[in-house]
Amino acid sequence: MSHIHPTPHAKTNFGAALYLLVALGIALTGCSNQMEPAKKAITEIEMAVASAGPDAQRYVPEKLKAVNDQLSNLRARFEQKDYAGVISGAPSVLASAQALVAAKDAAMKEASAKEAAEAAARQAADTQKLTTDWQTLSEDLPKQIAALDSRLNVLAKSKNLPANVTKDALASAKSDLADAKSSWTAATTAQSGGDTRNAVAAAQQAKQKADAAMASLAMTSG
Amino acid sequence: MADSKLPGSTPPSGDDAYTQWYEVKAGDTLWKIAKEHYGDGNLYRDIFNANTDVLSDPDKIKVGQRLRIP
Repeated sequence: MSHIHPTPHAKTNFGAALYLLVALGIALTGCSNQMEPAKKAITEIEMAVASAGPDAQRYVPEKLKAVNDQLSNLRARFEQKDYAGVISGAPSVLASAQALVAAKDAAMKEASAKEAAEAAARQAADTQKLTTDWQTLSEDLPKQIAALDSRLNVLAKSKNLPANVTKDALASAKSDLADAKSSWTAATTAQSGGDTRNAVAAAQQAKQKADAAMASLAMTSG
Repeated sequence: MADSKLPGSTPPSGDDAYTQWYEVKAGDTLWKIAKEHYGDGNLYRDIFNANTDVLSDPDKIKVGQRLRIP
């Protein structure tokens, strides 16, 4: 019976293999130890991005894209099992993701202030237009009504109508002038009460009626 | 129409965008203008009274004059 004894050379190979096996084990263990923290870091970043909400896309789209690009990069490194790379890169990405919320809030606040300023400007312009309209109408209408009154007073003394005014037209003019006066009274009442919007609306109705009366009587303006 | 001042004559009020104007043409008289605008020539006095700043005699109007037609 013969015994087989390992040669010195075989002993060396065995030792090297064992060393590699141990090293690989250590490496795998090390990787395995880093995988969970890397995964956790990515999850933290995802949660920070999610906390910025859908408004981030509207108010800070460039910042959101930058963070998402960095996050995609970390995910790719995770897939490549570069856990150490993920862990080392995660803090800055997390900081950027957390800053998204503040940036979004600041942008929303700025947008809100801008909208409020624009609304105030529109309101001021609307008020200014109403004021201008009222000034024009309030200067104009009494003169127009006076002109119509004057013409109807003269025509009331006439035994005939002028060739360009029919009996029906005269009746329409009288009716329209009465309506114009009524609307004008409503307009001045509204204005006295501080309601310029309704004052202008009523004055515009009065103006339409007065214009119609002038047309019926073949009168011109301007 | 010989009187230069007619009963009820009042100075013309301020002119504005609604003042109605008529430019006198050859052959016009106040009676004719009143007839055209009011259908009754006898209302010429209303025109005269509205134009006392440019008319002193209803019979004397000039071609090219601009008259108020109240």
